[in-house]
Amino acid sequence: MKKVLIDLKDIVKTFDGQTIVNHLNLQIYENEFLTLLGPSGCGKTTTLRMIAGFEKTEAGVIIIDGKIVNDLPPYARPVNTVFQRYALFPHLNVIENIVFGLKNSSYASKLMFYGEDNLIMEAQDKYPNKKITKHLLNKLINEKIYQDAEYAIKLVNLQGLEYRKINQLSGGQMQRVALARAIINRPKILLLDEPLAALDLKLRQNMHYELKEMQRRLGITFIFVTHDQEEAMTMSDRIVVINDGVIQQLGTPKEIYNEPVNRFVADFIGESNIIRGKYIKENEIEVLNKRIPCVGYKFAENEIVDVVIRPEDWDVVSLDKAVFVGKVISSIFKGVHYEIIAKVEDVELIIHTYEEVKVNDQIGLKVDPYKIHLMRVAQDE
Amino acid sequence: MNKYFKKLAIPYFVWLYVLAIIPFVIMAILSFVNNEGLNFSKAIFTLDNFGYLTTSSTVIAFMNSLFYAVIATLTCIVIGYMVAYAIFRSHFKNKFLVMTILILPMWSNMLLRIEALKNIMEPHNIITDILSKLGIHVSLDIAGTPLAVIIGLISTYIPFMILSIYTALEKIDYSLEEAALDLGLTETKKFWKVIFPLSTKGIVSGSIMVFLPCMSGFAIPEILGQGNILLIGNVIDQHFRNMNYNLGSLLAVVILIIILGAIFLVSKFDKEGETLL
Amino acid sequence: MIKQYPGYEQYEVANIEDYGYKEHRLTKKIFKVFRAIVIIFAVFLMYIPIFTIFLQSINSSTITSEFGQITFKWYANIFDKGSLLTAIRNTVFISIWATLISTVLGTLFAIGISTLERKAKRHIMLLNNIPLLNADIVSGIGLMLIFSSLIHIFPYFFGWRTMLLAHIFFTLPYVVLSVLPKLRELDPNLFEASLDLGVKPYPSLYKVIIPAIKAGIFSGMILAFTMSFDDFVISYYTTGNGFDNLSIWIYSSMGRKSLSPSVYAFSTLVTILFFILLIITNLLRGRKQHHENH
Repeated sequence: MKKVLIDLKDIVKTFDGQTIVNHLNLQIYENEFLTLLGPSGCGKTTTLRMIAGFEKTEAGVIIIDGKIVNDLPPYARPVNTVFQRYALFPHLNVIENIVFGLKNSSYASKLMFYGEDNLIMEAQDKYPNKKITKHLLNKLINEKIYQDAEYAIKLVNLQGLEYRKINQLSGGQMQRVALARAIINRPKILLLDEPLAALDLKLRQNMHYELKEMQRRLGITFIFVTHDQEEAMTMSDRIVVINDGVIQQLGTPKEIYNEPVNRFVADFIGESNIIRGKYIKENEIEVLNKRIPCVGYKFAENEIVDVVIRPEDWDVVSLDKAVFVGKVISSIFKGVHYEIIAKVEDVELIIHTYEEVKVNDQIGLKVDPYKIHLMRVAQDE
Repeated sequence: MNKYFKKLAIPYFVWLYVLAIIPFVIMAILSFVNNEGLNFSKAIFTLDNFGYLTTSSTVIAFMNSLFYAVIATLTCIVIGYMVAYAIFRSHFKNKFLVMTILILPMWSNMLLRIEALKNIMEPHNIITDILSKLGIHVSLDIAGTPLAVIIGLISTYIPFMILSIYTALEKIDYSLEEAALDLGLTETKKFWKVIFPLSTKGIVSGSIMVFLPCMSGFAIPEILGQGNILLIGNVIDQHFRNMNYNLGSLLAVVILIIILGAIFLVSKFDKEGETLL
Repeated sequence: MIKQYPGYEQYEVANIEDYGYKEHRLTKKIFKVFRAIVIIFAVFLMYIPIFTIFLQSINSSTITSEFGQITFKWYANIFDKGSLLTAIRNTVFISIWATLISTVLGTLFAIGISTLERKAKRHIMLLNNIPLLNADIVSGIGLMLIFSSLIHIFPYFFGWRTMLLAHIFFTLPYVVLSVLPKLRELDPNLFEASLDLGVKPYPSLYKVIIPAIKAGIFSGMILAFTMSFDDFVISYYTTGNGFDNLSIWIYSSMGRKSLSPSVYAFSTLVTILFFILLIITNLLRGRKQHHENH
């Protein structure tokens, strides 16, 4: 059983009478990479900002490490944030930015950070004839801060740029400074607010790997906010899909991709074909006017269901082996595969295939019963 | 755009050279000669004027100017910062409107404001008169004192300081404040380590806008000092009124050198030369 | 002092001191009081002259240290008194023309400057800072010396002509400085797009560039007017032949100890007028933004 690090209980937040976060409950574990995924305005950033302490909650409590932190100001919370536009201090250079938090926190919290007993022991070792004073300890702390900074700089691969000015850095480098600045504080939780949004594609993909690796090595919890489902898929241990301030689905990337619980999730995560169908009986459904086998779902007999079939799960076959027959409306070469839109029984389907087909061709289609996903139709539809 | 409108800048170069640079040349020449007004026909080259710079009255006037300008500027920085910061932090919907209303007095005639200040600095004035009719007897007599001059300088020039500090504060990205809090700085530390350093540009340009007129003006010390306090501006003014263009020009050149130093400083701070405003 | 959370009693509430921080409630309170005093003092300093001017404008007594009765006769007298009215008229004439001319010229100059290379740009911006930063008395004397050397060519030069030129001289840099940042923010392709669509350079300037920078032009214009309307020292040195603006008129009346209370009435009117204008422009701007948001 993993330890719960953050517990959000019944959180509510409204802006100008509009509910942004609506009775949200979420447990976040130690040492996990959790992604809050959703379209812009869904409440994911607001949730993150409430954990950081920049926004007050209207109802509910935020529990970090077993303590209610609702009234704890941001500076006292054991979390650090990597901001969307980095928020690096323009009047300081790279290393000054990185040591900024440690250097300027209170003396008491510095002692706590490095361990007062450790510091005193170290001071006695280093200066055996001197009296241990606040001044001496401060000196020692300062040395340690710069050692830590060197380590953080190495960790994010910024060696040699220590004395650069912030406005002389590229976007990717700024991103790394922002990361180093946060992780040097060894927070229990690192909050990342769409930190890769401003980078170009190639750099972003590299950063996916690096971030995941960093999280594993440091052993701290990452809470990552993004609207990019691919980003979420590649890095996360668990994904929380949010819409309209409500959690739609919580699960591993695989669960979310393969078994979306509703139309919103299925639509938001990757491309998919969502077709209205009917659950006939166990292991059989009716879809696109055909009865086909299907495995592993339990609904009432003859219940109307949503059938989800991912574009890559369609098999394009010769007409004689086909279950469905469709007419190709468009066919676009996407590099590795062709993206086809075909019309079957007046429903347009997206299909990925490796073989070329031409517009107006008749194609045969088939689907593996194991790759069919069924969803209950939402009440309000 | 470049090739079409480059020539638009040329007249401005000419204009600035004629009206801003040539006068300095004339003043510099006037400092080295002895003549009457602008009549150069009987001009004699001389270095005697420079001896005047070391006479005690000139030195005192210069020291006075520096002293009053420094005191007024420092006070304006402290008070102006607090006012600008309070507005910046306030929850008014339209902070800029509040700001402009606050500095509205700037738009009424400066000399008249100084005159009004002088009047109420007298022991018997319109306000004590009204108060005494209400049975309250107060009296304040600071007219003609250094304090009166300093109050006058602050009252007149503090709007510039408030405005320029406020403008600098407005430009600070709010996420930097959040970042500071997030990194463990208390509100007080956040102010000293982030907000204050990022607003120094406003303090510098505000200080220049306060310091220079305080140092060189002559109306405020003349009216509020009632002739007891001579600043360098008063001395220059007297020389020109007495048609002694040589000594007047010499002092003006000295002031100019100080100001050029300030301009140089500004251009160091901001390469584009757009610090002011 | 720690807040309770009903329904969540089983959880401990975090205390700021566990994290190495203290709450300095008392220090904060003391500082707040101190700050309030300083702000009140500042407002007092700025507003006391205006308030006194207002009191004197409704004071029936001509002695500035006495309050007689409330009267509005000085307001009526503004337009009776010959020399004051002339000074007001001169001030308005000079400041409006100076503002208009320097707004137009300043905008064109700024456009020219924005196209210069870095070095030339720094050069002209340094020159542009001179009238702005120079002591008024030095600027005034400098202009006077230049104008005096032209007196043999134009014998009746001193007067409104010299004052107007001087006002244009010191208001131009404000317009240039207000317009330049807007030009820098401009989309560099905007002008080319207009040319590409077949509009000639100068019409393009008028139709595309000017509308895009009008906010800067407007604020430059306001600044120029403010500076020109209130100027004393430069006007004082560059006028001649009895052409007085309001500041000079006040200064010489003060010297003669014959300041007419009507000038207080005029000043109060101007302050009220500026206040109303300020509110109106803000309301208009607010409404415009409101429209744009919907």
